[in-house]
This record gives sequence, C-alpha cells and structure tokens, in this order.
Amino acid sequence: MRSLRLYLRLVGVCVRSQMQYKASFLTDLAGTLFGNAITFLSLAAVFARFGSVGGWRLGEVAFLYGLVEMGFATMDMVFSGYDPGYFSQLVRRGQFDQMLLRPVALPLQVLSSEFTLRRLGRFAQGLIVFLLAVRLAGIHWTVAKLLYLPVVFGSVVAFFGSLFWIGSTTCFWTVEALEAINIFTYGGTEMLAYPMHIYDDWLRYLFTYVIPASLVVYYPALYFLGKPDPFGLPRALSFLAPVAGAAMLLLANAFWRFGVRHYQGTGT
Amino acid sequence: MYLALARMGFQRQLAYRTANLAGLATNSFFGLLRAYVLIALYGARPSVAGYSLPAAITYTALSQALIAYIAIWSWWDIIRTFRTGEIATDLSRPCDYFRYWFAQDVGRAAAQLLLRGLPLIALYAVFYRIVIPATLLQVLALLFSLALALLVSFSWRFLVSLAGFWVGDATGVGRMAWTVATFLSGQIMPLAMFPAWATGVLRATPWAAMINTPVEVYLGLVRGPHLLAALAVQAAWAIALIAFGRLLLRAGVGHLAVQGG
Repeated sequence: MRSLRLYLRLVGVCVRSQMQYKASFLTDLAGTLFGNAITFLSLAAVFARFGSVGGWRLGEVAFLYGLVEMGFATMDMVFSGYDPGYFSQLVRRGQFDQMLLRPVALPLQVLSSEFTLRRLGRFAQGLIVFLLAVRLAGIHWTVAKLLYLPVVFGSVVAFFGSLFWIGSTTCFWTVEALEAINIFTYGGTEMLAYPMHIYDDWLRYLFTYVIPASLVVYYPALYFLGKPDPFGLPRALSFLAPVAGAAMLLLANAFWRFGVRHYQGTGT
Repeated sequence: MYLALARMGFQRQLAYRTANLAGLATNSFFGLLRAYVLIALYGARPSVAGYSLPAAITYTALSQALIAYIAIWSWWDIIRTFRTGEIATDLSRPCDYFRYWFAQDVGRAAAQLLLRGLPLIALYAVFYRIVIPATLLQVLALLFSLALALLVSFSWRFLVSLAGFWVGDATGVGRMAWTVATFLSGQIMPLAMFPAWATGVLRATPWAAMINTPVEVYLGLVRGPHLLAALAVQAAWAIALIAFGRLLLRAGVGHLAVQGG
C-alpha cells in the first residue's frame, strides 16, 4: 500500500513536470497521433487494393493492429523507466547506483523515475483503429468476450514490458542498450499486427514457443473474431494470454534480480 | 577541405561497429516481415501496379537498405547544435555552412550504404530471387538517382533543422518531419500501390525522390523518357530545396544575431 502511494506520487511528479511545457507537450502528442495515424492510413490504402491478407479482411487485421498499438503504447508509457535507451543512461550517469542505496524496491524506483506521457498519442491512434476494427469486423460480443478483453490487453502490456525489462537488464553487462532487443519490441509490434499464418514456420515457432508473442495477440484474436486456427491447435490456446504475460514478467524479474546481483557499477 | 570532412563523416560511422550490425539485423528483420506481408497480399496475383512478386520482394529489401543511407529518421546532427550552442562556432567557421554539413553527410551516407545497404541486398539475394539491374544504363541511372536522392534528403533535413533558429529546440518539429517523410517517400509501401489519384501526387513530391524514385529506377519500372523525367524531378527538388535552405539560413542567422544581442 505504502509503495503504491509512493509510486503514484513519484509518477505524479513526472507527469506534472511534463505538463509545465504544455504547448510542447500538446504538439508532441498531436505529432505522435498524426504520425502513427498516417502510417496506418497508408497501409489501409494499399490493403484496400488487395482486399485481404492471407484470408483476413482489413477490419480483422486492424483488430490485431489496434490491440497491439494500444498495448504497446500503454507499456511504453508505464515502463518508460525500463526503456533500454533510457535505462542505459541511468546506469551510465551513475543514477542507478544512487537507487541501490535507497531503502525502496528497485523496480518501483526505476518505474517511477520516468513516465513518458507523450505515448498517449500512440495509444489514442491504437484506440481509434481498434474501435474502427470492431465495427468493420462485426464481432459478435458476449459477456465472456467483454470480460476477457481487458485481460488480453493487460497481457500485451505485461508481455512487451517484460521485453523492455529484459533489455534493460542486459545493460548491466553492456552498459550501452543492445539494439538487438528492438527486433523483439518494435519488430514484435510490426509482426503481431498481421495474422501469424502468413509467416514461415521457423518465424511462427520462434514467436509462439520461444517468445510467447502470438499467445497474447493472435490466438486471443482468433477467439474474439470467431475464426478457427488454421493449424488446428486446441482452442484453449486462445485463453493462455494471461499465463504467457505472467510467465514473461516472472522470467524478466528473475533475470533482473540475477543482473542486479552481478552488477558492479560503471565507475561513474 | 570538404574531402577531409567527408572522410571524417565516413570514419565516424566505422567506429560504431556493433550499432551498425544491430541496425543491419533490425533492417533485415523489418524487410523480411514486409516481404511476408506482400507475399500474403499478392496471393495468386502475378503482378500488382507494375510490380511482379520478385520486384515487390526486392522493394522490401531496397526500402530498408536505403533507410540508413538517406537517414530518413532521427537525424539530429544540426538540431543538437542549437541546444549545445555549437551552432555559433559552426556558423563562424571559414567555410560554407551548408557544404560543411553536406560534406560530412556524404561521408556518413557512403559508409551506411557500404555497411548497411549492400550487405542487406546481399543477404536478400541468398534467401529470395531478387531483381538485379540488367543493363549498364540502368546501373548508371541508379547511381545518378541515388546521388540525387541523398542531395534531396540532405537539403530536406537541413531545411527542417533550421527551424531551430526560431523554436530553439527543433526536436518536436524534426520528429514530425521525419514521420511525414517516411510515409510519403514510399518507405512503408510502394507509392504505385496507393489509390490511383494519390499515386500521381505522391510521385511528384520531394519525399518520393528519396526512396520511391531510386527504387523504381533500380527495378527498371521507369524507362526511356519516363526515366529522364523521374531524374529531372529529383534534380529539380534538389535545386529548389537547396535554394530554399540557403534563404532560410540567411534569415535564421539574422534572427540568431538579434537574439544574441
């Protein structure tokens, strides 16, 4: 309880400091929204010419896209402190060493040290596309689906957040952020925005069994859209999203603890 | 002296070996994903908007290979100098400010083409049947088009960066400008595949001159008089943007002097 209050207070400070430059914040927000929207529109314009991707109509693909964008943008805001690019600076400047001395849980300190409000622009774009997709795809809503949707959303946030967390932990050894993690984070958002069956086996296996990406987006989407799995895997796979999200968080946390134990400082 | 600056720009890129490798991996991965999407979109169609399937796959390689070369995203070299104050030193150097930066950018771009552009195409050639320019004329036209693409891209980035004279920190302006360029250059999808009314307009913009034109020249989609016209549009934009950049620079320097009092 105490840590939650502390967290909210520190995040509040971050948010207020960003609101000091209101004009700059609003243009940034509008810029992000505009930039992302324009990217989606250009994809949609080209898709319209083809009609469908691997048997999925535009509305159905947009469902994947909107879900991923909303989840990633939320994660990008909440996990700003664990953005590998940002975290590597904390390590380099010795700010992380100061955190080690404070009697507060480390993840709480890192998470509350940065909260990039600008990401709301990307979230808004994702939300608009998602709402549009729900209309276009003509989803048959049930109580179960409505209850499961926020769970899936949370799982997407947890999934990408874990990748950020793991990426940041590698900074203990490399100091500089490893760009390779971008393949899984930014590459992941790109990849998950399309139905998984358009990819070759090795890529699909990698993003299903090694990194459970398709469990948090593609399989749940099959359930919402009422589509059968083209590979005939059990329907239960659609409901493993929270398991995959939680497992990733646990794994990231374990790796993080291991990293902190081995961290020797950078000499700053 | 400009040659020395170019060499400096070239060598600076060589220093970041792991970053270049990671960049190459990321570009290849994104290219690969785009290729899967296009293959799925094509389905049984042999050709769409003049692009055969191998041409479309080659497009995904080229559009990724050119990202680093023309630095379509995140080019903050000049914008940064407004924050650090180096702008004052740079302006008072005994050389032309535009050429001072352009020379360095030529070096940077050449290094990126060698380290991230060519390896990516080579990698693609291993996995896919890609299109290779067939005639010497096509290769020459491609080299010419690539040079013009860099000139247009640099003048555009130069122009955007000069916003710093008026807004101080041009990071936000830059971020928005780079996004617009990405979308309008045909980096995301070939401009030819857009709805017909949009394609004509998009092809004529300076952003198309950065990626779409060199790609279409490479693939041999523009030939004969169309090829000459495409190169002429690139050249025209280069001249226009350079002229505008120089005008804006003069106005900006005046503005900066007033501020410095």
